[in-house]
Amino acid sequence: MNMKMSDIDLRVAFFDELYEIAKIDSNVIFLTADMGAYSLGKFKKDLKKQYINVGIAEQNMVSVAAGLALGGKTVFIYTIVPFATLRCYEQIKIDLCCMNLPVTIVGVGVGLTYGSDGPTHHGTQDIAVMRALPEITILSPSDSAITAASAKIAYKNSGPTYIRIDKGKYPALYEKESDFSDGLSMLKEGKDIIIISTGIMVHQALKVAQNLANHSISVGVIDLYRIKPLNTELLLKFISNSKRIVTLEENTIIGGIGSIVSEVLSDYERNISLKRIAIPDKHCFESGDREYLHTLHNLDVDNVVNTILQWSN
Amino acid sequence: MKEKIHKLEEKANWVRKQVLEMIASAGKGHIGGAFSCTDILVALYYGGILRFNPDDKNWDGRDRFILSKGHSGAALYAILSDLGYFSPSELCNYQKKGCILGGHPDKKIPGIEADTGSLGHGLGLGAGLALSAKMDKKDFMTFVLLGDGESYEGSVWEASMFAGHHRLNNLVAITDRNGLCVTDFLKDCLEIDPLEDKWKAFGWDVVIVNGHSYEELLFALKDFRSRKSDKPLMIIAKTIKGKGVSFMESNLDYHHSVPKGEQLEIARKELNEKL
Repeated sequence: MNMKMSDIDLRVAFFDELYEIAKIDSNVIFLTADMGAYSLGKFKKDLKKQYINVGIAEQNMVSVAAGLALGGKTVFIYTIVPFATLRCYEQIKIDLCCMNLPVTIVGVGVGLTYGSDGPTHHGTQDIAVMRALPEITILSPSDSAITAASAKIAYKNSGPTYIRIDKGKYPALYEKESDFSDGLSMLKEGKDIIIISTGIMVHQALKVAQNLANHSISVGVIDLYRIKPLNTELLLKFISNSKRIVTLEENTIIGGIGSIVSEVLSDYERNISLKRIAIPDKHCFESGDREYLHTLHNLDVDNVVNTILQWSN
Repeated sequence: MKEKIHKLEEKANWVRKQVLEMIASAGKGHIGGAFSCTDILVALYYGGILRFNPDDKNWDGRDRFILSKGHSGAALYAILSDLGYFSPSELCNYQKKGCILGGHPDKKIPGIEADTGSLGHGLGLGAGLALSAKMDKKDFMTFVLLGDGESYEGSVWEASMFAGHHRLNNLVAITDRNGLCVTDFLKDCLEIDPLEDKWKAFGWDVVIVNGHSYEELLFALKDFRSRKSDKPLMIIAKTIKGKGVSFMESNLDYHHSVPKGEQLEIARKELNEKL
């Protein structure tokens, strides 16, 4: 049996796993702010009593979820990243985090997924804002195995969790049912440069590493799939022999994983050069799909390779 | 009934005296709103309305009360300490170093069900709790106390629509309709009336009472556990901000001003002479 999950769409992987969890535990309640997904169909059909469309009212969705959790429920809430985070940020802070309740925010439309929909739909500040909340766990899975596992990790977490799930099919990076408790993994070793990335940008990082190998530069890749709590100890261990680090992400340059890594380097007095590659500090009004906007922001493979070559030379 | 009401009035007067001393001692606090909702809180906790057990704080069958207008926490703290949730000696440390009683309630305080302080959160929380009770066929009731100024928050109406749609008749909300927000009278800021019609339009039963009359408050709540209606219940309690101290009543300065010196003495005297 092939245990790789590269044929499974990330969203399908997540919702299928959540369906299995909710089928066994009727205490699991799913709220959506009028956001659907093809793979949610069977949840909605088979688990009617556990599925509620709260309408396009994200603030209320968070507060109701918190109320349900106060009443003993384990709750998953769902909508597009900017609406799931920025729109109801204070409800997340107070109702979920201050009270440390078992509610999981499932955000789709990570980064520039909804490219042509404009800045209203771009999820490019979520890491920055969500990581400022003390109690929250932030998961940013990169393939279907870990996306599916994220549902289980969140279900078992006694406090709030935020999961940024992507869509589409990506090469498998992990075996199904792997242990993801480390929070990050070294997918590829490299002696010259290490790229730290998260979510599906990890696949971009792997392509960049492969490309740079043609330039005789040995590049390692770290998948930071749990952004918070950060496994600082393991991160420091992974980068202990590095001279150069690159962070690659779809968050803006402010507050994302580039900021996280720079904070670690500063706090632990590591004298390692860092290049942060991210969305610039401006809103993107250009229309186009994700791939086009990646090129526009120099986040496509060729541009990232060039940026790294220029920087490392 | 007369005797019961007299006892409730005495208790309310005691609560206001505690609130005055707590806020005077701390040098900060929201006295006006605490005084406007004191009679509502006393009716709920001492009038035989709420089901609770201070000896078994997490008793599953307890009714849930959420003070959505969390800035009135001082009045609730006085009541919870009196009922035995924590030592009354804590009251004099209100908002002071290391005290559990901060300016706004949080769940770490025994007897507090939810963290509040930022307005517009409590009704959604209450709706979720009430829905969980429905799902699990539990018979506890959920109460939420809102401010009328708080009802400017859009999230109140998101929750209102949700509770109305889901027929949460195990949810009772009370609006402390004192007519003032922080720096203005509601009628001069944004007119909120017809408030009754708004709640009715959102699928709620609505009762309007004098929020300082125990007869009216208790009558409005006499059958709340066995109402025939499948709608949530809103009680609009008409109140006076700063109720109980003449110079504070409906005075815009007393949202969070603290009486000092002679004013403090006058306030003490007025409350002492009440009953």
